[in-house]
Amino acid sequence: MNSLKFSASSGFFGRRRDRFTEYQPDRTLEEKFKLIREIPGIRGIELKYPLDLKDIPFARRLLADSGLVCSAVNADVKDATHFRHGALSSPSAEARQRAVSLLRGAMDAAAEIGAGLVTTCPVADGYDYPFQVEFQSAWGHFVESAAAVASHRCDVRLALEFQPREPHAYTILSSVGKVLHVCAEVALLNLGANLDVGHSFAARESPAESAVLLAGKGRLFYVHSNDNPGDGGDWDMISGTVHFWHWLELLYTFDRVGYDGWLGGDIVAKHMGPGEAYDVNTRMIQRMAALLNRMDTETIRRLIAEGNPAKTFDYLSRWLLPNDA
Amino acid sequence: MRNLHTTDVMLHGTADEVRRESLLGILAAGDGGPGQSLCLGLGLVWPLNHGSIVACPDDGGRGAERECTRAVSRKGGGMNQLAIISAFLGGAKNRYMTYQADRTLDEKFRLASAVDGIAGLELCYPADFQDVSRLKELLKHYGFKVPAVNFRSRRDDKWWRGSFTSASAAERGEFVDEVKRAMDAAGELNCPRITTCPLNDGTDHLFEMDYVQAYDAAVECFSVVCAHNPQVQVCIEYKESDPRARCLFGTAAEAASFCQIANIDNLGVTLDIGHALCAGERPAQSVALLAKAKRLFYVHLNDNDGRWDWDMLPGAYHLWEFAELFYCLRELGYRDDWYAFDVFPKEIDTVETFKAAVALTRKLEAIADRIDRDTMKVLLRERNPARTLPYLYSLL
Repeated sequence: MNSLKFSASSGFFGRRRDRFTEYQPDRTLEEKFKLIREIPGIRGIELKYPLDLKDIPFARRLLADSGLVCSAVNADVKDATHFRHGALSSPSAEARQRAVSLLRGAMDAAAEIGAGLVTTCPVADGYDYPFQVEFQSAWGHFVESAAAVASHRCDVRLALEFQPREPHAYTILSSVGKVLHVCAEVALLNLGANLDVGHSFAARESPAESAVLLAGKGRLFYVHSNDNPGDGGDWDMISGTVHFWHWLELLYTFDRVGYDGWLGGDIVAKHMGPGEAYDVNTRMIQRMAALLNRMDTETIRRLIAEGNPAKTFDYLSRWLLPNDA
Repeated sequence: MRNLHTTDVMLHGTADEVRRESLLGILAAGDGGPGQSLCLGLGLVWPLNHGSIVACPDDGGRGAERECTRAVSRKGGGMNQLAIISAFLGGAKNRYMTYQADRTLDEKFRLASAVDGIAGLELCYPADFQDVSRLKELLKHYGFKVPAVNFRSRRDDKWWRGSFTSASAAERGEFVDEVKRAMDAAGELNCPRITTCPLNDGTDHLFEMDYVQAYDAAVECFSVVCAHNPQVQVCIEYKESDPRARCLFGTAAEAASFCQIANIDNLGVTLDIGHALCAGERPAQSVALLAKAKRLFYVHLNDNDGRWDWDMLPGAYHLWEFAELFYCLRELGYRDDWYAFDVFPKEIDTVETFKAAVALTRKLEAIADRIDRDTMKVLLRERNPARTLPYLYSLL
């Protein structure tokens, strides 16, 4: 197994809200850095744009002082004042232009702090009702806008994060297949995907399969680690707490496809301390990776090739439950 | 579409048996069987104790529709009134976006009054009760009734791990005290019930909660609360998930069974149609179960795609589910009561959203009302979808 690079997202260390409840106190960027640098195993921080990068020299100083690396700039394109009816896919040229400018600004900011990667989840681009969206033009706009952003500069990569739903019943960019479609249409090397594992579960995918599809086209740029029960809800739970075997398969797959990028934690701490939640999230993944090493990935490869799940799980489960008694 | 005009129906109070030639093209031929009042084949024979169905000339259907509505209301059909949950008239935000600005109570009343057909507001406790005398003035000024007080069991500053299922006795005590105050406040407004959606009473992870202890705590809390004023109905609005990956009361059956375990007469259920759909239920079946258990206290209307609680306009996705729902509610005696809209305006104008909700609800009820009771009894006995579905579509 390659060694894994872990980062935490600043956005999850401050005040959090869902539709019903607000959790956690507001925290300053310094406080967020301080919490994150204390988490064992975490070397990176994902910074929000524009929120965390209004003062770039200040952010650079915090990075230097903390010893953390900026793993990605996470651009928010979800201001309902402007993107009420979509951003990249909006019927309004003004809204699309604003979204494109915002993402270009995020790319410039990423270059300035040496991040090299912008990730964005286009949550404003979606719909609730049948007969609500004119799909031809929406998709045309989406692809054009993505091209307009990615072509801004080739030294920063743009990772699109798909999500099947929320805040709309349907999002435009809802699956790994649609991301690959956008990448193929735009055909720029710096456009790829952020595979959010929870979103992939919510979209009823096997994240390992999605990772293979993306890596096969050179589009697996970034990964968000988390988990959920697969009920469609994006609960941002600790990785492996539900889909233990799927997570193990995913880590095995990262090794197979040679993914050496970041695993950015995307965990909502809710009532837990965020430091504690990210600590355990990191440990869970590290322990699963260590388990894979003990299991021996070459043996696993042979078992998968043989294609007998009974035999494979007899082998895999032995490492968890060694006594047959 | 045009052919359907000939199948439009109207209720007619005098005819005995009416042959509906126009339905023949749609309904499959069949033998009604001995003792059945509906015969399919040469013609359709309707039992006509109250409303009857007659063929309507192809006048575009409008005359039939008017007649139909008039006939139903003439029979004093016990129409349910419509209310809006006040919170949905204010700030609309989710985890990602903020669509509608926060609004004052005065503004909420003003918006609600702009929606024809709204007769009441379901008020939220504590938010709407900061100034009770002003609240009373507003209710009087706008002439709104209060079908229910919605007790918020999730708060930003407390009860993150549950309110009545909290492991902390102090937090549970606080919940009980607050609900009692909400009941008193409801009583002052002549409001007959408290409803609460126990959103944070649940879990994200496995091994997070001692379920038995949680149910015990819930029984204890609700016993005290319900005994405080047996005249007030206390309603649990079940929901499968959100903001917890699994809420403790996830389905109609779980809620009903809990009420029966607690064995308290004034403890019942608010059926939120969207929650029922998300839980994989057929709302009409949930109505039947809850009514059987004597726990069908109150109804929230909204719709979704069956995956998530999007709080959409009624009928946006589940037209026939709503028709079956309204049919069953009427059959089971949920009349002269209330429907409260739990509809999230999002990017659409708030008043426009609720105007549409009212219009769609009345439309869906009208469809349900066109179902002839005796005909449906026969169809339900036959359980032959090849007859039932064409009959239903003939009503559109």
